[in-house]
Amino acid sequence: MVHKGETVGIVGESGCGKSVTALSVLRLIPDPGKIVGGHIFFKDREVTRMSAEELREFRGNDVAMIFQDPMTSLNPVLRIGFQIKEAMVAHERFDNNAAEERVVPMLKKVRIPAPKDRAKNYPHQFSGGMRQRAMIAMGLSNEPGLLIADEPTTALDVTVQAQIIELLRDLNREMGTAVVLITHNLAVVASLCTRVIVMYAGRIVEQGPTRQIFYNPQHPYTWSLLQSIPRIDSTQHDKLLTISGLPPDLSNPPPGCLFHPRCRFRVDRCSKQEPPLEEVGPGQDARCWVLMKNALAGAESTS
Amino acid sequence: MATSPSSFEPDTTFVATDTYEVGEQMSMWQDAWRRLRRNRLALVGMAIVTILILTAIISAFWTPYPVWIQSLGPTYQGPTAKHLFGLDDSGRDILSRLMGGAQVSMIVGVGTATLSSIIGIVLGLLAGFYRGWVDAVVSLLINIFYGLPDLLIVLLIVAVTQQRGLQNIILAISLTAWLGMARLVRGQTLSLREREFVEAARSVGTRDVHLLIRHIFPNALGPIIVQATFVIPAAILFEAFLSYLGFGVKPPTPSWGAMASEGYRSLQFAPHIILIPAAALCLTLMAFNFMGDGLRDALDPRMRR
Amino acid sequence: MTRGTLIYIGQRLLLITLTALIVSSIVFIGVHQLPGNAFLSERSPNPSAEQVLVHHYGLDRPWPVQYVSWLTGVLHGDLGESLVNRGVKITPLVLREARVSATLGFWAMVFTITLGMSLGILAAVKQNTLLDYVASFCAVIGYSMPSFVTATFLVLLTVTGFFAWSGGLVYENIGWGKPEQIPVPAISLGLLPSAIIFRLTRASMLEVIRQDYVRTAWAKGLRSRIVIIRHALRNALIPVITILGPITTGVITGSIVIEYIFGIPGLGKEFINSIANRDYNVVIGVFTFYAILVGIANLLVDLVYPILDPRIRY
Repeated sequence: MVHKGETVGIVGESGCGKSVTALSVLRLIPDPGKIVGGHIFFKDREVTRMSAEELREFRGNDVAMIFQDPMTSLNPVLRIGFQIKEAMVAHERFDNNAAEERVVPMLKKVRIPAPKDRAKNYPHQFSGGMRQRAMIAMGLSNEPGLLIADEPTTALDVTVQAQIIELLRDLNREMGTAVVLITHNLAVVASLCTRVIVMYAGRIVEQGPTRQIFYNPQHPYTWSLLQSIPRIDSTQHDKLLTISGLPPDLSNPPPGCLFHPRCRFRVDRCSKQEPPLEEVGPGQDARCWVLMKNALAGAESTS
Repeated sequence: MATSPSSFEPDTTFVATDTYEVGEQMSMWQDAWRRLRRNRLALVGMAIVTILILTAIISAFWTPYPVWIQSLGPTYQGPTAKHLFGLDDSGRDILSRLMGGAQVSMIVGVGTATLSSIIGIVLGLLAGFYRGWVDAVVSLLINIFYGLPDLLIVLLIVAVTQQRGLQNIILAISLTAWLGMARLVRGQTLSLREREFVEAARSVGTRDVHLLIRHIFPNALGPIIVQATFVIPAAILFEAFLSYLGFGVKPPTPSWGAMASEGYRSLQFAPHIILIPAAALCLTLMAFNFMGDGLRDALDPRMRR
Repeated sequence: MTRGTLIYIGQRLLLITLTALIVSSIVFIGVHQLPGNAFLSERSPNPSAEQVLVHHYGLDRPWPVQYVSWLTGVLHGDLGESLVNRGVKITPLVLREARVSATLGFWAMVFTITLGMSLGILAAVKQNTLLDYVASFCAVIGYSMPSFVTATFLVLLTVTGFFAWSGGLVYENIGWGKPEQIPVPAISLGLLPSAIIFRLTRASMLEVIRQDYVRTAWAKGLRSRIVIIRHALRNALIPVITILGPITTGVITGSIVIEYIFGIPGLGKEFINSIANRDYNVVIGVFTFYAILVGIANLLVDLVYPILDPRIRY
């Protein structure tokens, strides 16, 4: 659940279902996939029940999405300015001229230099970082309530990454647009998001305010993820911790908790029954029978 | 809620140790063959082609009636028990002529594919590998002649030199067909020679010829086979056009194109004379096209698992 | 039209001219090595009359001299005089017949592109539906049917009563001059290429529809028609345009057979007749014209590229 103006990060390994979740919000799942159950609500409207026309109005207008690879996500044969204008004209909030006039200010807002000339360029004339900014401009042009960013920095190099994240943070503050940031990079989440959702094998395994999750993770998976981040102050002798094994094959899932085969802290119950997502702290939920606070206490008492 | 944890070591029972199923090691050819086998259209095509080849071979030794004998019965007669496909405008047995035509088509098709492929492969390899003046000459030839209408050139060669034998036709068509193969092989060679294994082979002193034949050529073999397979129906089509216009093999050697041409006049009252060779021609071309498509899909490296 | 484009056009025109000259020179020289001449055919050999003719056409000169004189003529646009029909100048003949062939070729291309592309787009958008399977199957049959087979089939259809009410009308009217005589030859000529265009358009559209930028277009909430046409099609057309060059060449070649079957007085029929009559002057003239035509067609196709794909600039 995303509140107005919030920044939420969705973290998880590749293939854990974060992109699929995001795409489902806009009902962009390609055939043969489809939504089989559950609900998606946006401000009291049920997205799964929208008609084709309602959905079309919804996309790019109430909720916008930007994608991972800006090089392939922009149409190579159309000018950037045109593609941004197109997004606005499609929803009839602005007519052609009004939309045209909004293009350059949008480009300026995403900090593209020389926006007037750049609007006439084609995507191949932009650098990677610039393309991603253009995509952000495109997404925000209709002032949506929510912007979903699917791994927006993965395809960019580190310095550019930082700029994009900063841009998203500033835009979130300026325009009040809620941002859902999907990534596998915990550092990015820490610098942008107020809330974090951790996913594993298609399930939410933990969620809560960023500080709490980072300083007091309750799910073993989250804990292991944080443990495995290399520390700059570690010595040469400290082993690099990893989570051994690979994510489960969802066509043949393990019984009980989906993480238990790889979990250091599992108990008997973990292999029999899947835990529900329960509150474990103020605003923090986790899906685990053991929970880190108990596991670590137990470990202390046995050692 | 929790008792002491059962162990601190992960249990790997339900974790796939490998996200890919470990299958037996397979060479590219076995893999391609497997994929080809699953393509039903390609199999149908191959079956028809096999029948065709058999017919062609058989007709060299035996046909129901000799192909040139006329007046075997009333002219323009339709299919009967004695003459399964009927008689043509001179009273010749159509079935026998059909078989003879199969032989002509096969010889022209396979012959052209072979000859043009050999020329194209050799020139393509040399041009792509050595660059320099060899490449300049070959590329010039390709650029000049590639866009030209090949039927015109072939017509010109065949008609003007007045030679109508099978070999001449094969030669004439090959003279335009090698360009496509050369272009393909040159492209393949150009990219293959930059690969590391070439560098590696060179560094141990492999001789150029050995490199070309044993390293580069086999790696380009996939597209080469596909290209050659598509040359066959193109050549058969050319030959049909030539004989339709009257420039093909000399009568009385039967050719489907010539048979169709003769049959056009009697279209209204004896349609079988033109329809049967036309159908044979279409079926043959379809079969080769299916086969070629199947081969292309089977050998496509992008789809390899 | 940038300077680069103009230079490119200039280079290509030069290449076309050179190619035409080289190729026709080869033909010229080759033809002149053959024994005998056009007058040695069925005509009763009348030595003195023959001598007059030979001298009139300058065939008694050594061939290099003939070549130079021919070459100068060509560079002035004069393709010479027909050997068989004395007094008939080739250049006007060729131009006149080219108009006929061009009409036929034009309508064939219209058919090819319209049918091939529209079906290809539909089949791609409705992939794996009945429409797709039927169209794809028909396409395979289509590009296995030589043009003379298609022609025969169409004539048969119109004759044996499928269009009975107009059956006699079409069959007896096979020839040229009236508008209703255009469809049958044009379709015969254009069917095979249309199958090729269909396959390519479909394959290209299928690939493009899966691209990220099309997903972006959907995510922006654009209308279906805009996504398909402005985003998918414009990109999908690029490889199809590439193939239009060879397709045009194929249509030009194919027109030879079609003109022959339907008795259409175009360049193709002229080509065949003059080969049969050994009217080599006409043969060379027509061939030269074809070479130039093909070159220009390919050049035009190449010039369309930058319009579609802004990444390509000369």
